[in-house]
Amino acid sequence: MKIVGIAACTSGIAHTYIAKEKLTKAAKELGHEIHIETQGTIGTEDELTEIDIKNADIVIVAADINVGGKERFAGKKILNIPTNIAIKSPKSIIKKIQADLGL
Amino acid sequence: MDLSKVIRSETIKLDMEAATREEAVEELTDLLLHVNAISNRENFLKDVFYRESLGTTGIGNGIAIPHGKSKFVNKTSLAIGRTKADIDWKSLDEKPVRFIILFAVTDEDKNSTHIKILAKVASNLGDDDVCAKLLKAKSPEEILAIFSDR
Repeated sequence: MKIVGIAACTSGIAHTYIAKEKLTKAAKELGHEIHIETQGTIGTEDELTEIDIKNADIVIVAADINVGGKERFAGKKILNIPTNIAIKSPKSIIKKIQADLGL
Repeated sequence: MDLSKVIRSETIKLDMEAATREEAVEELTDLLLHVNAISNRENFLKDVFYRESLGTTGIGNGIAIPHGKSKFVNKTSLAIGRTKADIDWKSLDEKPVRFIILFAVTDEDKNSTHIKILAKVASNLGDDDVCAKLLKAKSPEEILAIFSDR
């Protein structure tokens, strides 16, 4: 399946980037496509494109704060989780999404 | 990745004496104080422990990343340490911590180069292999090399 998402944590220094890395690795190991945007202290990086979002089966928002640009996901299935969950069990999250979506 | 902008070998300590989370943060803070990366020990510690109070910085794999974004930081820097003893950090995977990276970030860092390096260090910690290597590294140079290679 195709996954897009956002990672953002309270101080925007560390958990944001660890969560991105964990989700990305887990998705790729399980054979999925993934693109995660980070919203941290240094601003937005790896911004999602319209095409990424349009083609995505699911949006994962791994965040401990309000993220910007949620309107881009209108009409999409969104999973909201704290960054800690993304860091702790990235593979089970992705497997669960896959099971729930039947993909 | 050019880690030399945010870390010096003097702020890496592989034989830390700390036995608790508090002691570990203090021991690493002293390294930062020694190289003038922070201006006030007690106030910087307050900011780090405030962040600890918001949620665990024990990310699993034996690693913790306490961090303070604080006006008592002179220069965005890292201190890295490994403890001789297991430390209870209320980690996400409930395992004890042995390897700690303390992030000290200035309150208004306009030099995003430094923060970008920190972000890069954090991403590396999302890789289980990197975590395993850090726990086994034998010298500060080896630790710097693990990050620089990536």
